[in-house]
Amino acid sequence: MQVEIEALSKAFGEYPALDAVTLTIPEGELVALLGPSGSGKTTLLRAIAGIEVPEAGRVKFGGIDVTEVPIQRRQIGFVFQDYALFEHMNVGDNIAFGLSVRRAPREEIAARVRELLALIQLDGLAGRMPRELSGGQRQRVALARALAPRPRLLLLDEPFGALDARVRRELRRWLRRLHDELHITSVFVTHDQDEAFAVADRVAVMNQGRVEQVGTPADVRGQPATAFVREFLDVQE
Amino acid sequence: MKMPLFVLLAALGCNSNDAPQSTSSVELLNVSYDPTRELYQDENAAFAKAYERDHHVTVTIKQSHGGSGKQARSVIDGLGADVVSLGLAADIDAIADKGLLAKDWQSRLPDHSSPYTSTIVFLVRKGNPKGIADWGDLVKPGIAVITPNPKTSGGARWAYVAAWGYALKAGVDPTEFVGKLYTNVPVLDSGARGSTTTFVERGIGDVLLSWENEAYLAKEQAKDAGFEIVVPPRSVLAEPPVAVVDTVAQKHGTAEVAKAYLEFLYTDEGQQIIAKHHYRPRSAKVATDLPKLELFTIDDLGGWTKVSATHFADGGTFDQIYGK
Amino acid sequence: MRRLLIGIALGFMALFVVVPLATVFASAFRDGISAYVHALGDSEARSAIKLTLLVAAIAVPCNVVFGLAAAWAITRFQFPGKRVLVTVIDLPFAVSPVIAGMLFVLLFGARGWFPGSHIVFAVPGIVMVTTFVTVPFVARELIPALEARGPAQELAALTLGASPWQTFWRVTLPNVKLSLVYGAILCTARAVGEFGAVSVVSGHIRGETNTVPLHVEILYNDFHYQAAFAVATVLVWIALATLVIEQALRWRMRRRR
Repeated sequence: MQVEIEALSKAFGEYPALDAVTLTIPEGELVALLGPSGSGKTTLLRAIAGIEVPEAGRVKFGGIDVTEVPIQRRQIGFVFQDYALFEHMNVGDNIAFGLSVRRAPREEIAARVRELLALIQLDGLAGRMPRELSGGQRQRVALARALAPRPRLLLLDEPFGALDARVRRELRRWLRRLHDELHITSVFVTHDQDEAFAVADRVAVMNQGRVEQVGTPADVRGQPATAFVREFLDVQE
Repeated sequence: MKMPLFVLLAALGCNSNDAPQSTSSVELLNVSYDPTRELYQDENAAFAKAYERDHHVTVTIKQSHGGSGKQARSVIDGLGADVVSLGLAADIDAIADKGLLAKDWQSRLPDHSSPYTSTIVFLVRKGNPKGIADWGDLVKPGIAVITPNPKTSGGARWAYVAAWGYALKAGVDPTEFVGKLYTNVPVLDSGARGSTTTFVERGIGDVLLSWENEAYLAKEQAKDAGFEIVVPPRSVLAEPPVAVVDTVAQKHGTAEVAKAYLEFLYTDEGQQIIAKHHYRPRSAKVATDLPKLELFTIDDLGGWTKVSATHFADGGTFDQIYGK
Repeated sequence: MRRLLIGIALGFMALFVVVPLATVFASAFRDGISAYVHALGDSEARSAIKLTLLVAAIAVPCNVVFGLAAAWAITRFQFPGKRVLVTVIDLPFAVSPVIAGMLFVLLFGARGWFPGSHIVFAVPGIVMVTTFVTVPFVARELIPALEARGPAQELAALTLGASPWQTFWRVTLPNVKLSLVYGAILCTARAVGEFGAVSVVSGHIRGETNTVPLHVEILYNDFHYQAAFAVATVLVWIALATLVIEQALRWRMRRRR
């Protein structure tokens, strides 16, 4: 499902987090929003989810305007930076949550949970509580939970931010493989350009609430469109 | 079949607190002052029996007790009293001033609407170690006197008046005398019963200025402690009055029963119960073993209206004395 | 050092809790068990106990619902008058219970703004004033609990398609269960033991508008000391019952995990 963002603006008090941002996320692609802190990338992600309400502009899913649609009706999956797992439920119930609030039949839910546990390679851990898992395991559960209701859009907010370097690289590769298998339109936010270039089909570089450049990793690296992009990538390199 | 609404309601025995009550049973609320709990327990039982016998109507009387002034204020604020039996006429006057009963209420029953009287006496500890015999002993230094707060307690106001009257007759400056008396008071409870408890249970004070009936009750209840009653040669004739609260009784439809209830207090049976509880009955026919003493009335000091305004109103003599 | 602190804590408990409780029970049973039972079986005592339980049964659930709603609104939303709401919740703590009682008399008494309403000097007034003085307990327990959690889990639930109501029931509430229980217990204890505010609005009609604390005062003033202590133990039993219920709830919650 294609996502179109048209002239989206959002301010927090005096501070302009998004400044008339226009961006298209092509169907089935994995797009990275890359930029320094304060660039507005997380705000943009949350605006797509409906968590932040823009002052101006529109968000469209598959051509339909969803700007006024509340979060719970957008059929998205969101993976939070700090996982936000339901601490009082076990792994199985966490994953099942999106389906159980839709009152899906019990056997269907159980089958789907098993399927996802296999996908994230945590078979047999359905009965564990979140606090008994490692950081990497919890992130995978968060992902499985977001995927369970078959969302049409997957949003990830610095999904590997809280993990150590080795785990991050592993999960990065794993996310890419997952995307290749499932082909859900996905957007993820990161400040780490290595991560963005390694995982994404397309990268949007943001700065001060604006998109400086959008393109494939090769395009952006090879032909930086603005001075900022050039500096941002150079510094990291 | 269509039933007229009132027949239906009567059949359902609708007995909300506000609607006129059905004729087979009646409920009264008697809002009374502090020390009369035991008295009215017996009076209510006797009256209910007599009324049932004569009129075939079951009467249930609910009681509320507290400091006389406080109770009067509650009635003014809406406590639904069919009948009030307070510590002094001034408190019922206050209710009459707000229009809840007729201003001439006191003349509607005999003896200024006081079926029983009492006086203020002294309750002292076993052996009377401080040798208290008369009002003059109360102002001596080192004597701790227990008496309630005149602002809320009827008994306290009678005690104040008794002390004032003593000072006038004895030829001392009453303001100074009463001032010295209250300097000797360590604790000011809100009701007569509270003061009794302070003296008896908590063991505070050398002498309790008490309603006569309270003193006898305390002595009986605390037999082991050996309290003694000292009756001063001269004291005030306390006349606690009773009255029907017209507006409330009319609303409840209990005016007739309420009147009969108060009149019962003047009958031989009612007066005997009064004597039994150490109150002074009005009827000469009923025997009492309470001692004779010289008693002056509130009229000797100008009547309650004058006394209330001068002494117990805001900024009055009591406030000036106690404020110091 | 540790022993000193524990010693002080235990000593404090012993002096201010154990000794008074022991005294109450000793006085209550001074004349034997049958006298104790007789005191509790007296009709005025029974109606006082019933009234106290009725008042708690209304005040506590009302404040649980209000506390949940207010705490959620305060911690999750911005709205005009939010500060006023927080202040209003704290008001019963700042105000003396007697003043609270007077407030009701001024509002609903015969000379008040809403005369003839049969609220003061009757059971409704007692229920209302008790509900008023116990307002802060649940809300004040929940606000820090909700604030500590933050809205992350609730947002996650919404992204997964849960309605706000489903989010509240399945995510918010289970996370604050313990705080809610604790708040409810404090609320119950205060509702059952409230004296000053109830004394002002009660009217002290024997057998009708006296709660257990008021009835204890009446018994004490009537020189029935043993009976007064006996009825006072009812409050201790109620307190014990709420603690047992709390332990049972905690045990169930632990088992679920």
